[in-house]
Amino acid sequence: MDRFLFPKWANSIISVLGALGGVGALYVLGMVAFGASPETTDVGYQPEQPLPFSHALHAGKLKLDCRYCHNTVEVAGHAAIPPTATCLNCHSGADANGVVNTVSVHSTSTKLAPIRESQATGKSMQWRRVHDLPDYVYFNHSAHVRRGVSCVACHGRVDKMETVTQVKPLSMGWCLECHRHPEPNLRPPEFVTKLDWVADGDPHEVGEKVRKELNLNPSTNCSTCHR
Amino acid sequence: MASVTAEPIDTTIEVPGKRTPLVTGAHDYGTVTDAVCRLAECKTPTAWYVALGISASLMGMLFGLIGYLIITGVGVWGNRSPVFWGWPIVNFVFWVGIGHAGTLISAILFLFRQDWRTGINRAAEAMTIFAVICAGVFPGIHIGRVWLAYWLFPIPNQMAMWPNFRSPLLWDVFAVSTYATVSLLFWYMGMIPDLATLRDRATGKIQQFAYGLFSLGWNGSSRHWHRYERAYLLLAALAAPLVLSVHTIVSFDFAVSQLPGWHTTIFPPYFVAGAVFSGFAMVLTLMIPARKICGIEDLLTDRHLENMTKVIIATGTMVGYAYAMEFFIAWYGGNRYETFAFINRAFGPYAWAYWIMVSCNVISPQLFWIKKIRTTPWMIFVVCVFVNIGMWFERFVITVTSLSRDFLPSSWGYFRPTIIDVLMLIGSFGLFMTLFLLFCKFLPMVAMAEVKSVMPRPGGQSDHH
Amino acid sequence: MDKKYWRSLNELHSTPGFEEILHREFPVAASEYPEGVSRRRWMQLMGASVALAGVSGCRWEDEKISPSVSRPEGRIPGVPQKYATFMELGGLAESLLVTCYDGRPIKVEGNPDSPQNQGSSTVFAQSETLSLYDPDRAVGVVERKEGTRYARDWQAFLDYADTVLGQARQDGGAKLRVLADVSSSATRRNLQEKFAALYPQARWYDYTANSRDNIYAGSKLAFGEVVRPHFDLSKANIVVCLDEDLLSEHSAGMLHTREWAARRDPAAGEMNRMYAVESRFTTTGLAADHRLPSRSVDIGFYLARLEAQVQARLAGKTPEPAGDEYADKVLAAMAEDLVANQGAALIAIGANQPAELQARVHKLNEQLGNVGKTIRYSKEPLATDLAAAEALRKLTDEIQAGSVETLVILGGNPAYNAPGDIDLVSALSKVPHSIHLGEYEDETSLLCKWHLPKTHPFEQWGDARSYDGTLCVAQPLIEPLHDGKSEVELLAILCGDKHPVALDLVKEAVKGSLDSMTVNASWRRLVHDGVLKGSALEAVSPKVKSLPAAKLTEAAGEELELVFYISPQVYDGRFANSGWLQETPDNLTKITWDNAAIIAPATAKKLGVEFGSVVKLILDGKSIELPVYVLPGQAPNSISVALGYGRTAAGLVGGDVARDVKPVGENIAALQSKAAMNFAAGLKLEKTGKEYELAITQDHHSIDAVGAGEIHGRVGQLVREANLSEYKSHPDFAKHVTHHPPLESLWEELSYEGQAWGMSIDLTKCIGCNACSVACQAENNVPVVGREQVLKSREMHWLRVDRYFTGDDVDNPGVSIQPMLCQQCELAPCEQVCPVAATVHTDEGLNDMVYNRCVGTRYCANNCPYKVRRFNYFNFNKVYEDPNRKLQALVLNPEVTVRHRGVMEKCTYCVQRIKAVQIDAKNDQRPIKDGEIVTACQQACSAKAIEFGDLKNEKSLVAQAHASPRSYAVLSELNIKPRTAYLARILNPHPSLAKPDSEGHGHGEAHAEADHPKTAEKH
Repeated sequence: MDRFLFPKWANSIISVLGALGGVGALYVLGMVAFGASPETTDVGYQPEQPLPFSHALHAGKLKLDCRYCHNTVEVAGHAAIPPTATCLNCHSGADANGVVNTVSVHSTSTKLAPIRESQATGKSMQWRRVHDLPDYVYFNHSAHVRRGVSCVACHGRVDKMETVTQVKPLSMGWCLECHRHPEPNLRPPEFVTKLDWVADGDPHEVGEKVRKELNLNPSTNCSTCHR
Repeated sequence: MASVTAEPIDTTIEVPGKRTPLVTGAHDYGTVTDAVCRLAECKTPTAWYVALGISASLMGMLFGLIGYLIITGVGVWGNRSPVFWGWPIVNFVFWVGIGHAGTLISAILFLFRQDWRTGINRAAEAMTIFAVICAGVFPGIHIGRVWLAYWLFPIPNQMAMWPNFRSPLLWDVFAVSTYATVSLLFWYMGMIPDLATLRDRATGKIQQFAYGLFSLGWNGSSRHWHRYERAYLLLAALAAPLVLSVHTIVSFDFAVSQLPGWHTTIFPPYFVAGAVFSGFAMVLTLMIPARKICGIEDLLTDRHLENMTKVIIATGTMVGYAYAMEFFIAWYGGNRYETFAFINRAFGPYAWAYWIMVSCNVISPQLFWIKKIRTTPWMIFVVCVFVNIGMWFERFVITVTSLSRDFLPSSWGYFRPTIIDVLMLIGSFGLFMTLFLLFCKFLPMVAMAEVKSVMPRPGGQSDHH
Repeated sequence: MDKKYWRSLNELHSTPGFEEILHREFPVAASEYPEGVSRRRWMQLMGASVALAGVSGCRWEDEKISPSVSRPEGRIPGVPQKYATFMELGGLAESLLVTCYDGRPIKVEGNPDSPQNQGSSTVFAQSETLSLYDPDRAVGVVERKEGTRYARDWQAFLDYADTVLGQARQDGGAKLRVLADVSSSATRRNLQEKFAALYPQARWYDYTANSRDNIYAGSKLAFGEVVRPHFDLSKANIVVCLDEDLLSEHSAGMLHTREWAARRDPAAGEMNRMYAVESRFTTTGLAADHRLPSRSVDIGFYLARLEAQVQARLAGKTPEPAGDEYADKVLAAMAEDLVANQGAALIAIGANQPAELQARVHKLNEQLGNVGKTIRYSKEPLATDLAAAEALRKLTDEIQAGSVETLVILGGNPAYNAPGDIDLVSALSKVPHSIHLGEYEDETSLLCKWHLPKTHPFEQWGDARSYDGTLCVAQPLIEPLHDGKSEVELLAILCGDKHPVALDLVKEAVKGSLDSMTVNASWRRLVHDGVLKGSALEAVSPKVKSLPAAKLTEAAGEELELVFYISPQVYDGRFANSGWLQETPDNLTKITWDNAAIIAPATAKKLGVEFGSVVKLILDGKSIELPVYVLPGQAPNSISVALGYGRTAAGLVGGDVARDVKPVGENIAALQSKAAMNFAAGLKLEKTGKEYELAITQDHHSIDAVGAGEIHGRVGQLVREANLSEYKSHPDFAKHVTHHPPLESLWEELSYEGQAWGMSIDLTKCIGCNACSVACQAENNVPVVGREQVLKSREMHWLRVDRYFTGDDVDNPGVSIQPMLCQQCELAPCEQVCPVAATVHTDEGLNDMVYNRCVGTRYCANNCPYKVRRFNYFNFNKVYEDPNRKLQALVLNPEVTVRHRGVMEKCTYCVQRIKAVQIDAKNDQRPIKDGEIVTACQQACSAKAIEFGDLKNEKSLVAQAHASPRSYAVLSELNIKPRTAYLARILNPHPSLAKPDSEGHGHGEAHAEADHPKTAEKH
């Protein structure tokens, strides 16, 4: 008879199809969830900088304090990228009369050419931003650094990085996590820039102590970050 | 026409001790099947193409406008301060309301064993689905940043943010989507045996396959029938409460706010009554012409129409009562803002809208007390059209009038719709009609299987109960 | 917030380092964005902030950071700095403190050190940042030859100047003329002298549309010398204003307002009483206890009657009983008060009234012994021997006579605002060498051979004196954006100095006023403070000469008069291109983007015209068409029209026919004449049958009877008022105006630890001057929507000033003013209904609005009983994305997100300011001082009507205000617990004129005991 009925074998594949459908759906969901999460999109971002400045060398080997360059971090929202002049303190090249400052380091290194050029032309260095928050997020460095939140908490062991890389997702959920339970990321403020600092004793207790001393109760109000 | 001619009987007269047949004419199962399937099988009349052409182009316009809206911003509508919700919400509530008749007829009347429902339930359910689709269009495009609409759903995200479960709008999202899903299932479930019939009669390869696919291998075995009826009963039981819940929750959008004219406890029952009222009116507006064009008067008899007009009188009167009660409470409550909200409705700048609403919704259905009108299809049709208009205005009055004048006189305003507003409403009708026409053409408009169940058995008296 | 930074001098001198910073930080060309500002900030400015929301955290676009090459000392990127400067209007300076963000001026505030404005500021000052970045400003030197426009540079001009001035030197400048906007700059005076020495034959004319010539003439008539009156409202129990807007339009308005308001606290000392007799409804009239609408032409008549009564009383005669006309009663009360308060009263008369009346008012004040107590006189530094209009006429005649070779126009826009009977326009084209220095290529520039770009007040060195004579100094806050030169620089050039250094010129000029021992130090101090303390003009005590006896003039018939007034929005038209000001609703008419013929209801009925009908105003032959606005309280038979509209070459905002942008409003100056600069009788009015829809922000459509009745009933509850007498008997009357059952919340109520922010607004002090509204717009990046959208009532002001007419007399109604902003309800209705939790409560009681979370359902706005939420129906920030107008974006405050289309926005008590202070305080582990956080509106308010702070701290001013018996919450019966309290308005009417006690009082009476436990305030 000329009518369409499902053939016998259809029954057998129905369950298979069903199973496949389910698995497929889960797979897609998983991919989306994972693919869209900041963990995937942001962490590991490592842009090429105009000159190969090594934090590993300066902050790590030479033990320069973070605040030598990022000197506004304790008073301002921005941890200002140092002006060319700061680099020149050590790396000044030959002056007008070709005289090179005796204490100057690598005064002729080609790698440092961009710095010297910037000085000569008065054009800014064009550094590339690594840690970037959406523009409607108002993060304030001083508010964290002055309260015993170390650079490490958000930037990781920069003193070990040849090229700076983003190691934390910097997502809203991630921020909230710490605002709700700051203890693990708290340390006595004098150590905030000591990236290799380790708490003597249970870090949680240390954090608890700091929190009490500074009377810290991080707010999770929207206007804390969004204005 | 396929039915065998027999002496006509007036189905609108109750003869004591004798059950008025729900199918007139000397129909047997075969002829019923013929009558219904004819539509899907015979050559499509040009009229159908013309009608589809018109409504499809209107639908196209709607989608065009939606595109324009999303690119430009909701400012293309007449919405303004203080009338932040304008026509789109009016249209939404209007369509959701329409979408009530179907499930009511199929679920509640089914549970109450109202056999006469069999003639109309299929079309009514179809209409419900289409109305809900139209309704669904508006809240979606109504928000300022459509591309973020998914934030309304509780999806885990990196912001660690949930939607605000205190907000009636959120309840709405769930209520309407649930309703849409269940109605769709219910409608499709009920159609399976008839799809099988179409499949069996189909000649073209494509039809055979398409109908075959959707009738899910139905073969009419008593096992199938048994399961089918059980499932149908269960779905009916599931759908019944939804009929009440959807519009109750839609009414919460207004009732839970504190705007004078919105903030009233009477809203849920009032909205549900209104919804059923408008739903039935819409079914009649569609079916009266449809049954003539499709020549199924025998299956969809005057009695069916009359029964529905009775429902309309009932619900219409409830609505009228609600209007009156609102005023009473406003006065009795002694709240100056509440009182003014209602005085302003009846005598303020929007009085015209209010009186259109009252005359269409309260006065016109009362005409159905007259049997002549109740039993004359064209008269019913006219009244029902008025009811539809009235119900649209009811939503307009509630939404716009209340908003235009709230607490601080400094912010009072007067809402004027833009051309976009108007065209979008027309467009939504285009969408609705397009879907309905497609339905008439390709799907069984009357639930053959169910109709047969209320027909006298061949060679015996009908003895079902 | 009171941080100030030194700006070291070597920084200010054009040292390469500094030059280079400025050049990098500030775009010289509008097209490129400043590299100094990190791209992130820039994107923020560009309104892209929310556009990026969708892809927040996405990592696709590559952001550059451009640090300074050498960062100037004291400059911390991202930390705003404040510098003192000033703006000059009509030759009088308003000292300002300007916030610069990464070197960009973004917000103007009054200079707290200035004795004149004491930290408050006018709407004009507030909008200066917007005009600084106005893309329509003239961008370079321009020469016009035979109608064609050639872009030139300064060198080209210098060469041209050489030749022209060379010839001028030959004949001592006999054919050289200068037409300048009035100024009190000492630098300019120095150069003027130099100029005079160089060109002895040359003539110098001053012109301003807002002249005070009548005052000069009046005092000359009275005292034989020109003096400037200074009023001390803090000592005045009785203030009588005759056609004078002492509180707002007067050059010392802010000082007056502050002193007046200080005397409006019923709890603290004796309240003052203010009478206003005026034709148009002014801010002063609105604030006055008694207002008598009178045609400007009739002011003399009323003054005469007042004199008569005062004389009688002074002579100890019992005055004849007052007639039962309202006017009679008011005059009698006035006279009685004046005599009863001799030495503690003052009478002020408007600059628009003729000299004789001015003189007689001086006399009256002297007789009443007010001089030296509430009124002080000083020399008038701005006095000129020629009245402004006179000067203009003389110049025009000279030109017509062909005796002018070279004309230099310093600032101003005379071609636009010259009175109708002085045909400067055709004259200008006759001048062989005409040079115009102006910020815009305006009507005047188009008629001149050369246009020179003028620097904005924030781009230049300068000095001027405020009304009380205090010396103000301006320092450049930003390099000239458009290669402009300041007035003094150009003058120096004309005097032969090719490359003048403005800094030196100014320093030289003010040296005299500085301590000679420590010139440099005190100069630094002066630049830092912006004002020189104790440099006010010293008082003189002139005696009134005998005046012709005042004869009792008769009120002049029934004929119509036309009153011209300087627009409170666009001044004399110079601010026509400022969107902020054009969209600021007039505080009484609520008109935006237009001027109109304002007519009294009675007169309108008589003439058969109504709101919106276009009429033709005809004054000796000349005519102009304007839409009618019927304003209750306008003087009968007096029609007033604002000057400053109908600009044809203002720019894309204010109108520019060349780029076919319709002018905003009509230029009424055409009907002015040298004889009648302020008002003129004999106006004819014709109906045209045309209709025009004015864009007003209140009563968007004519209110029907039902609505009108309801408003009448409601106003008493929204704006609670009482007379002093009622207040004395029932201090807490305001708490008993509404009644309701006990209020219980559906939701769990929040508890507040730490700070609880709150605000209070004192309606007794508020004069509805709009300063708060514009300040809010400037601080919070509130967009301008334009006339079309205002017509759809989609204006965006976060803070609006509601205006209600009260009383039954439409010809002389009371007016209730109520600034309305987000009330930060503790049980906010908006929060409950937002489906995405985009508006939620903080534990400090703020009602946060999270723009980047909002999806724009607008449900919150529906549920807001105050309707203070504003919705972005379109992308109202498009202007900032337009590549040709990018420069405009520099005005945006980077601390506040720029809202995208489809997003709801509203006031959050300037949360960015709160956070800034909170973080600072916490950084140094100190508590926040009361008054340390100042919201933008509070900052601008000259009446000190707004208080903000922590309600938890009982000692805070705001907590005290909330505790005041006068405090009440609007719509408290809704149990939304607003954090903003209003202090009921107390009027101090003369007993003989006091209206019967309002119902508020009656309630207090009836329910004093019964209701206390039940009223909301007790819960």
